[in-house]
Amino acid sequence: MTPDTTDSDGTAGAFDADTDVPDRIADQFENIRRTRRRRALGWLGLFAFLAFATLQAFAATELLNPDARLGTFTDSLTGFFPITSYFGVVPFLDLGQYVAFIRQENLLYDPEIGGLLFQFPPNPTDVYAFFFRELGIFQIFGEAGITLAMGFVGTVLGFPVALVFGTLGSERVTPFPFNFLFRGTMSFIRAVPAIIWTLIFIPFLGLGPSSAAIAIAFDTIGNLGRLFVDELEEIEDGPIEAMETTGASKPQVVFFGMLSQVRTAFIAWTLYIFEINVRIGVTVGVIGAGGLGYVLASQQNLLRFTNMMATLLAIFFLIISVELFSQRLRSRLRSDEVQMGIWELITGFPRRMAESMLK
Amino acid sequence: MTYIEVDGLSKRFGDTVALDDVSFAVPDGEFVIVLGVSGSGKSTLLRALSGLLSPTDGEIAIAGESMVGPRPEVAMIFQQHNIIGDMTAYSNSLSGGVHRSGFLSSVLQLQDDAEKHRALDALDTVGLLDEAEQKARSMSGGQQQRIGIARALVQQPNVLLADEPVASLDPGSAQSVMGYLRTASEDRGLTTFCSLHQVNIARKFGHRFIGLRDGEKVFDGYRDDLTIEVIDDIYGDIDTEGMFVRDDGDADAPTDEVATS
Repeated sequence: MTPDTTDSDGTAGAFDADTDVPDRIADQFENIRRTRRRRALGWLGLFAFLAFATLQAFAATELLNPDARLGTFTDSLTGFFPITSYFGVVPFLDLGQYVAFIRQENLLYDPEIGGLLFQFPPNPTDVYAFFFRELGIFQIFGEAGITLAMGFVGTVLGFPVALVFGTLGSERVTPFPFNFLFRGTMSFIRAVPAIIWTLIFIPFLGLGPSSAAIAIAFDTIGNLGRLFVDELEEIEDGPIEAMETTGASKPQVVFFGMLSQVRTAFIAWTLYIFEINVRIGVTVGVIGAGGLGYVLASQQNLLRFTNMMATLLAIFFLIISVELFSQRLRSRLRSDEVQMGIWELITGFPRRMAESMLK
Repeated sequence: MTYIEVDGLSKRFGDTVALDDVSFAVPDGEFVIVLGVSGSGKSTLLRALSGLLSPTDGEIAIAGESMVGPRPEVAMIFQQHNIIGDMTAYSNSLSGGVHRSGFLSSVLQLQDDAEKHRALDALDTVGLLDEAEQKARSMSGGQQQRIGIARALVQQPNVLLADEPVASLDPGSAQSVMGYLRTASEDRGLTTFCSLHQVNIARKFGHRFIGLRDGEKVFDGYRDDLTIEVIDDIYGDIDTEGMFVRDDGDADAPTDEVATS
């Protein structure tokens, strides 16, 4: 049998190892091997470069020669996680210390304000005072309430401006070069982190929750507005054309044809930004703007690690609650099911929780 | 009296000729059906009539006034309904009349009672009065298309354009939507243009027919002139058997079939 390069008789698998392989196949095999080898070299080069760059970055961040103090860190860990013996024998985390600090500093609940609401029998004057004189529905949650309120105010104040900027920043509303006036403004706002905006507003409102709230509102304009612009890119032309044929004015076409298509998406994005804003509320608190972040920073200055951990737990609790609430609400909005009333959302929570845990 | 006059209308998209020198005149109150295969220029013709597209050549005049952009007196119904799914049937219907109110009053739905009654009356015309408060998205395709008709009626147009209004509907819904369309245009004396590709429905509901093929007008006439040969000409060399129902009394009395559901 002579080697046949055309190999048309269909006897595949009939070649002996090296000798009988037709040239065409050998060429292609060699071709593939060369390509593979080149590609492997390319990857190797890339990894080598990445490793080299990482080394340089380590040097810049002083990680090559760190001032590590493992002993101090281990000491702090016993501060973060104090141990006590339960029933005199079982050693376990001393949760009592956390609870004590959370109560002492009113991290999650302010009894002075809450006392107006929760008393038996209920006192109408005090209830009135709670809602209308003390304006207590955020303050009842103590320091967590302040952080929550910062995120809330920031979202509420930022939303309308974000809506206007986001809409006008869309190319479908404002013709090309002019929409960059709005997109550019939002980019500029985004380029500056919320914590820096707080520093900028300190001369205006002083170091406290008020400048933090305004800073978060600014941050919201940049971030939420950007999400709005992106969402508006996705809409369909149909309803817009339909509104044009009714003879509607330009603002009416924008509202009925465009914004009504993205209404639920906008609400969902706003809730998402609210979640983020509460987290920013913690961060800006650290530089002194109040709330849980401020408590955390001051306990850190005093090296009271147990108290720091207690504050962290309070932060964790706040953020998780906000996220749970917002995510449930968002998934309700996005689904086409009949929307759940807010009352059922709250009262039905334990049941739904139990149901989903059983699944 | 001539109400719509189309003269030498041409529309090109790059090298593609969508409409080629189409001319016709339609008197007030006629129900015109535009026939043709997909890509024959039906949609382009209707979109040009609505003012959404500006013609490459030629002119469209409605009530003696040249169409240069959308006008409130020319309403359009779309194949994909193009109603707003997030709003109720009533709000959608009401949105047809926003050109009569300012921005804030239309957004906050602060129109006067007459306007709101008009929106409900239009929903009644298309048989959806009881469903007025339902979200449009949750309704069936046929119902959504009827909301589209209601919105067009609230606009109080003189001309109603319908671009394949029943193309995405099942035969039953298609019949009822066409019925409502026909009733509405007769009751309100509207000049109506409706593009269709179902010949049987076309024959049942139309007065006058305009046939397009490759962007050219190949037929313009009334029911009696619409013979098998004409259909063959419009649709090319396809098997038209069964698409075409000979006059059997039923087709002579189209209004009997209208709006029964």
